[in-house]
Amino acid sequence: MNVFLKVALLCSLSVYAWGSEEKLDKVVVEKDLPSIERGAEALMNSCHSCHSLKYIKYRDLIAFGISKQKVDGWRGEQPLDTPLMAQMSEADAEQAFSTKPPDLSLMTKARDGDENYLYSYLLAYYTTAEGVVSNHIFPTTKMPDPLGMSGSPDAAQHAVIEGQARDIVSFLSWAADPHEAERLQLGKYIIGYLLVLTALFYLVKKQIWARLK
Amino acid sequence: MANNIMNWIDERFPLTSFVKHDLTDYPTPRNLSYWWNFGFLAGIVLVLQLITGIFLAMHYKADVAMSFDSIQHIMRDVNYGWLLRYMHATGASAFFFVIFTHMARTLYYGSYRAPRELLWWTGQGLLLLLMATAFMGYLLPWGQMSFWGATVITNLFKATPFIGDQVVIWLRGDYTVGDATLTRFFALHYLMPFVIVGAVVIHLVALHSVKSSNPSGIDLAAKDNIPFHPYFTIKDLYGLGIFLIVYSVFVFFMPNSLMEPANNIPANPMVTPNHIVPEWYFLPFYAILRSVPNMVGGVIAMGLSVMLFAFMPFLDRSRIPGGARYRPFYRLQFYLFLIDMVLLGWVGYVHPTDQTILIGQVATFVYFASFFFVPMISKMEESWLIKRGLPAEVMVLIDSEANEIAKKQLKKNQRNGVQS
Amino acid sequence: MEHENPSGGNRRNFLIQLTSVVGGAGVAAACVPLVSSMNPSSDVLAKAETEVDLTGIPPGGMHTVAWQGKPVFVLHRTPEQIKESQASNGVIDPEADAKRAKNPEWLVVLGVCTHMGCVPNKEGPGWVCHCHGSVYDDSGRVTHGPAPRNLEVPPYHFLSENKLVIGKA
Repeated sequence: MNVFLKVALLCSLSVYAWGSEEKLDKVVVEKDLPSIERGAEALMNSCHSCHSLKYIKYRDLIAFGISKQKVDGWRGEQPLDTPLMAQMSEADAEQAFSTKPPDLSLMTKARDGDENYLYSYLLAYYTTAEGVVSNHIFPTTKMPDPLGMSGSPDAAQHAVIEGQARDIVSFLSWAADPHEAERLQLGKYIIGYLLVLTALFYLVKKQIWARLK
Repeated sequence: MANNIMNWIDERFPLTSFVKHDLTDYPTPRNLSYWWNFGFLAGIVLVLQLITGIFLAMHYKADVAMSFDSIQHIMRDVNYGWLLRYMHATGASAFFFVIFTHMARTLYYGSYRAPRELLWWTGQGLLLLLMATAFMGYLLPWGQMSFWGATVITNLFKATPFIGDQVVIWLRGDYTVGDATLTRFFALHYLMPFVIVGAVVIHLVALHSVKSSNPSGIDLAAKDNIPFHPYFTIKDLYGLGIFLIVYSVFVFFMPNSLMEPANNIPANPMVTPNHIVPEWYFLPFYAILRSVPNMVGGVIAMGLSVMLFAFMPFLDRSRIPGGARYRPFYRLQFYLFLIDMVLLGWVGYVHPTDQTILIGQVATFVYFASFFFVPMISKMEESWLIKRGLPAEVMVLIDSEANEIAKKQLKKNQRNGVQS
Repeated sequence: MEHENPSGGNRRNFLIQLTSVVGGAGVAAACVPLVSSMNPSSDVLAKAETEVDLTGIPPGGMHTVAWQGKPVFVLHRTPEQIKESQASNGVIDPEADAKRAKNPEWLVVLGVCTHMGCVPNKEGPGWVCHCHGSVYDDSGRVTHGPAPRNLEVPPYHFLSENKLVIGKA
C-alpha cells in the first residue's frame, strides 16, 4: 500500500511541477491598505494609460478605504460609478502596440502562477546585447517596460522597482478578489462552528450506538 | 389534534407507513462502515447544488456578450454572490469526489452483484446525467476554458456515423460554440438537476427493494439489521459534519485551486489557450480519448470506459460472496485499477509528449484489460481459493446458494413436468 | 435488537437537544446569504444617490432625472412661480411651500402621481396626470383629485450652489 501512495504522490508532484515552466519569483502579496493604496497609485501612473480595470469602479476604491482625495484626482470629472477604463481608446492602443492591452481586473487569477507570474513578469525586462528590450518570462510581449528594469538600475533603484511591482501585484490581487478578506474571516467562523457541530454529532452518535449491545 | 390530522392523511395517503417503511424502521445492516456514508452525502451535495444554482440563476445572464460580466457581477456586487458561486463551483468537484468514492466502495465490496444489478445500473445512469450536467455548467462562465472545452467535447460527436458534422452543428445551433449553444446549455443545465432528482428516487426505490449491501458481502439475517433511525441518521449526520469541514476549507480558503486560470479570461473564439484541460473529474476519460490515435476509436474508447462499469455484474463470475474481502486477487486488481485511474488523470492533465502518450496508452490498455480479464481471474481465483480452503461460513454460503439454485431448478422442472 | 429505553438518560436528552439547537441554528444561518443575495446588489445601491448639475436649467425650466430608477422633477422656479406657490397651502393635502422646497428657487419632487403611479406632465402652472386627471401646482401640491396626496419630496441636499444630490437629506 505504501508503494501505491508513493506513486500517487509522485504523480501529483509532477502535475504540480508542470504548472511552472519558467522559474517564477515568489512574491509575498501584502493585504494591508497602505500597500494596496501604493499599488493603486503605481498602477494609475504606470499601467492605467493603456490598461483598463473594467470590473473596478472608482466608488469601489473609496469603499475599500483608499483616500477620497486621491480617487477624486484620478477620476477627474467622471462620476464615482465609472469603471476604471483605460485612458487610451482600445483602437488607439491596438494601433500603437498591434495588440489589445488586456483588462487587468482578473490578471492575478488569469495566468498560471497567479501573483508570482505577474510579479516575475514585471521584473523580467532586460536589455539584450543588441540593445533591444526583451522579457525573460514573456519574450513576445508587446508591452514596453513599465517600471524601468531594462535600464540596468543600480541596487537602490532595483529595490524601488521591486517594491513598486509588489505593490501593483498587491493592488491587482485585491482587485481580482475584493471579497477575499471577508471570505477568510467568515471561513474561520464557519469552520469553527462546523467543528463544534461535528463533535456534537460524534457524541450523539456514540451514545445512540451504545444502545445496541 | 396531530393524531387526527395524521389519521385523516393516512386514510388517503400512506404517509405513516411510508415513513416507517422507508425511513424510521427501514432495516439496515448494523455492520456498515463509513464507506456507506457517501450515498447520503451525494444526496446532500445534490441539494446544495440545486439551492446555490437556483440563487445564482437569479443573477446570471446566458448571453455571450453578458455572461462573463454577469459572473463578475455575482462575484463582486451581489450580496454573498462570491459565496454562492464558490460553493457551486466547489460543489461540482465535491459531487464527483463523493460519487467516485461511492462507486469505488461498490466495486471494492462487490455491492453491484446480484440482486443489486438494477441498483448499480440506475447509479450508472446517474453518473452519466451528472457528467452531462457538469459539462454544460462549465460552459456558463464563458471563459476560455469553458469555450474550448465545449468546442472539443461537442466535436466528439463528429464520430457519429454518416451525419457527424450535422450532429455537431445541431448540438451547437451554430457553426461554432456560440450564443445558441450557451443559451441551450443554460436551459439544460437548469433542467438536468431535476431529472437527476427523479433518477435518485428510482435509485432509492431500487435500493429499498434489495436493501443495502454490507462489508461482509453476505446478506445479514434479520436480527443483524437495525432501524435506519436513529442509528444511521446520526451516523450520516456525523459523516456530513466531516464532509462539510473539508468542503468549507475549499470554499473559503482555496476556492480557486480547482479553477483553471485560463477561465478568468473571457472566451475568445480566435485564440486557443496553449493548454486545454478538462476539470479533474474528467481527466482519466480524457486521457483515454487522447490515447487512441484514431478519432472515432478514441470517442468509442472514452464512451466505453464510462459504460464498462455497468457490465461488472456479468464480468465478475466468482461465487465467493462480497468483493475484495475474501478475494486477494480481486483486491489487488481493485488497487491496480485505482492507480491506473490516477495515472490516466495525470496523463490527461499534462501537455502530451511522446512519453506521456506512451504511458497513457499503456494505462488505457490496463484500464480495459482490468475489465476484460475479470471473468477469467474471478473464476480462477474462486477455484484456487476453494482448493486452499475458505472460512467455513463462506463455504456454507456458497453451498447454500448452490442448493438454492438446485432447488429452484428442481421446482421449475416439476412445474414444467406438471404442465406437460 | 436490544434497545435501551430511548427516553432514558437525562444527559443524552440534553445532548440531543443541544445538538438539535446548534444544528438548527446553522441551517437558519445558512439561509442568510441566500435571502441576502436577493436584496439589491452593491451596484444597484450605488444608484441610491444621484448627482444633478443645475447649471443647465434656466429659470422656469425643468429637468427630469432618474433616481433609483424613478423620475424626479427638478424645477427652476421663477420669482412669479415662487410667489404663487408661497401664497397658498394647497387644498386637498395642505402643506406650506417652505416645507417642500429647501431653496425656494428649486423644487425637487418625485414625478410619480400619488394616485396610481403614473408620471404627470408639465402643463401650464404645475403638472397634469393624464391617467386619471389629477392636477398639481408648482409646489407639487395636488389641486384637483383623484390623487390623495401631494407629490413626494425625495431626500436631497445641495452640494454647492449648482450641484444637487438626491437620495440623502
